[in-house]
Amino acid sequence: MFHWLEKNPFLFAVGVFLTVAFAGVVSILPSFAQTSRPVIGTTPYSTLELAGRQVYIKNSCNACHSQLVRPFKAETDRYGHYSLSGEYAYDRPFLWGSKRTGPDLMRVGNYRTTEWHENHMMNPAAIVPNSIMPGYAWMFKNIADIDTAYAEQLTVAGVFGVPYNKPVPMADGSTKTIKMGKTVEDARALALAEAKLVAADMKNQDVKDMVKNGKIPEIVALIAYLNSLK
Amino acid sequence: MQGYAYVGAMGVLIVVLYAYITHLYTKKKNADGLDYEKYSDMALNDDISDVPVAPVADKSDGKKK
Amino acid sequence: MENRPLEYDYTVAKWFMFAAIALGIVGMTIGVFIAFELAFPSLNLVFGQGLAEYTNFSRLRPLHTDAVAFGFTVSGIFATWYYVGQRVLKVSMAESKFLMFIGKLQFVLYILTVVAIVVSLFMGYTTSKEYAEFEWPVDIAIVVIWVLWGVSIFGLIGIRREKSLYISVWYYIATFLGVAMLYLFNNMEIPTYFASGGHGDWFHSVSAYAGTNDATVQWWYGHNAVAFVFTVPIIAMIYYFLPKESGQAIYSYKLSLLSFWGLMFVYLWCGGHHLLFSTVPDWIQTMGSVFSIVLILPSWGSAINMLLTLKGEWQQVASSPLIKFLLLASTFYMFSTLEGPVQAVKSVNAIAHFTDWIPGHVHDGTLGWVGFMIIASALHMTPRIFKREIYSKGLMTAQFWIQTLGIVFYFTSMWIAGITQGMMWRSHDEYGNLAYSFMDTVNVLHPYYTLRGIGGFLFLTGLFMWAYNIIKSASARPVEESELQSASPMGA
Repeated sequence: MFHWLEKNPFLFAVGVFLTVAFAGVVSILPSFAQTSRPVIGTTPYSTLELAGRQVYIKNSCNACHSQLVRPFKAETDRYGHYSLSGEYAYDRPFLWGSKRTGPDLMRVGNYRTTEWHENHMMNPAAIVPNSIMPGYAWMFKNIADIDTAYAEQLTVAGVFGVPYNKPVPMADGSTKTIKMGKTVEDARALALAEAKLVAADMKNQDVKDMVKNGKIPEIVALIAYLNSLK
Repeated sequence: MQGYAYVGAMGVLIVVLYAYITHLYTKKKNADGLDYEKYSDMALNDDISDVPVAPVADKSDGKKK
Repeated sequence: MENRPLEYDYTVAKWFMFAAIALGIVGMTIGVFIAFELAFPSLNLVFGQGLAEYTNFSRLRPLHTDAVAFGFTVSGIFATWYYVGQRVLKVSMAESKFLMFIGKLQFVLYILTVVAIVVSLFMGYTTSKEYAEFEWPVDIAIVVIWVLWGVSIFGLIGIRREKSLYISVWYYIATFLGVAMLYLFNNMEIPTYFASGGHGDWFHSVSAYAGTNDATVQWWYGHNAVAFVFTVPIIAMIYYFLPKESGQAIYSYKLSLLSFWGLMFVYLWCGGHHLLFSTVPDWIQTMGSVFSIVLILPSWGSAINMLLTLKGEWQQVASSPLIKFLLLASTFYMFSTLEGPVQAVKSVNAIAHFTDWIPGHVHDGTLGWVGFMIIASALHMTPRIFKREIYSKGLMTAQFWIQTLGIVFYFTSMWIAGITQGMMWRSHDEYGNLAYSFMDTVNVLHPYYTLRGIGGFLFLTGLFMWAYNIIKSASARPVEESELQSASPMGA
């Protein structure tokens, strides 16, 4: 009855594939629509925040920092409210991480300031004694890639219907609209306007000068992203 | 609905599993005398000049690729 | 085929074996370096501020995991396939010019892709998904390589002399199919340059799944990449190399078949155990947890089968360093397939998740099981590929003990580190406040990070001994006259 298995490689391969695929079909497909709805108050990322998110990914911050608060008292005490599925609705890719060599960053925007990040990213051990996090001095020089962030906005808005330039409901009943540029020049101007707000809170004169001259260093974009994590 | 599908699937899988076990362990006594343990020799006698455990009779009979 | 007797042709196997050696050394050197970066953060700047972007922990960490997983391990899988595949199907690569060409093409493309991966990861091109960091152009190259391998597998099967497929071939086929499915679905991504009509960086892409769904798919992939890269093909190796080296038939061939189907069915359900207490639906988490426990059965089925294969031949363990490697590999397999399910139990996971116990678990599986199996397989293949006896048995024995010590250092330090940190994170003082700041938990880990670095360094040392031994065997030993039977000949 099962004798054909070891003699017929084609049927064998089909059998293996069905066995292997079975679990995926049952466990992954059904929950797709359900878990991707945003909770009230979750907004898409602005151009600058998205550029900062790309800086975060480029430097694999997620190798050491999670963005997932589990529903335990110790975690909610330390990091804030536990994570809800809908809060991640605009996260492509997800950045939960798998290892906390450093603390969770899910809600870091609630308790760290622009100035704190600025000093900490330059030399972590100067702010947090004994910290084993490396410094990221080059982020103060490298220019953030706004164009790619804009391309990503266009893509997610076009393909997945992410609501840019549309009112998004907030928790207090009001609405908020996250703007996306019509053209790439438009997008650069939007990002620069946002970058100026961040740079105003920073101390580093080189960074301030760059932003004044219309250039956005990676650190400004990253801080805009970190401040948006709430 | 899901519950019935689950129980049904479990039943089928259990039957298949036991059928397979029975198949493996009783085959030796049957008429064609296939002993699965014999297949171990495929690793031990694997020189190109060794006699295959179960030779492919005619190589050109359109094996699936 | 006219005058000379037909022989197996190991050209492609040999190339991939050297690729495994080279990439293993590269990947593990980076691993040891970043391990010490965690213990001594000033190492992040050891090459100066100018290069700091490329030598800091976060940039190197994906390079380490990908170099050992897809460099060292996958080369090892390809090398052993091009060796074992021919032998158990009793057909030589020399019999088909087409398959020979496919094999060589696969190797060349593989090396080019490795170069592309190294360059792009150094530059910071990453999708951030663990073990799937590569951006879309590299993904396409990987798919091509994989398809070529498939052509090679089924092509060789198509011209085989042995009608039945040996269990190792089953596992290789499963590896091919499983990885193909997982890789394709997890790397569904949209290149933003094209989707946005030509803006930004053409290398960049965005995941087709968002948030929780992305996490579910990623860990369905991430967990089963472990299944189909670190488990399934490695079992294929041990089912061939252990019986062959020891001259003993597999204890129970039937058990090996049953374990195969068990493993295939159960493994895929377990991805959820990476996401316990997350926002993934509860039933997926519970499934992940429960099936992880069930997974012990088929895993141990294979492992016990291997140990029993040596029944009555235990003196070989004492006399042959190669058998030592094989035996310890199956032991570590048993060990980590027990450790994994324990970590998947929800209450244990609450403490273990996000801590160093997880890398500890990964490494006793990868170093002890995958690493040892590839090392042993290469040492078994060396005398047959080069028709020379192994250069030094003493060196092999020394390598075995040094590496075993290294693994023990590694997992003991990471166990203690992980459980300590997990307990400290969750403890409260008598007023209900958190007892420790995050930095308290980092400070306490310093000695364990140092020990882990030393463990990794020992293993790396062994890897260099392995490479030296194989290169010396290929060059410094006289050619043997006859085709070898089971036990590999070793020089003093």
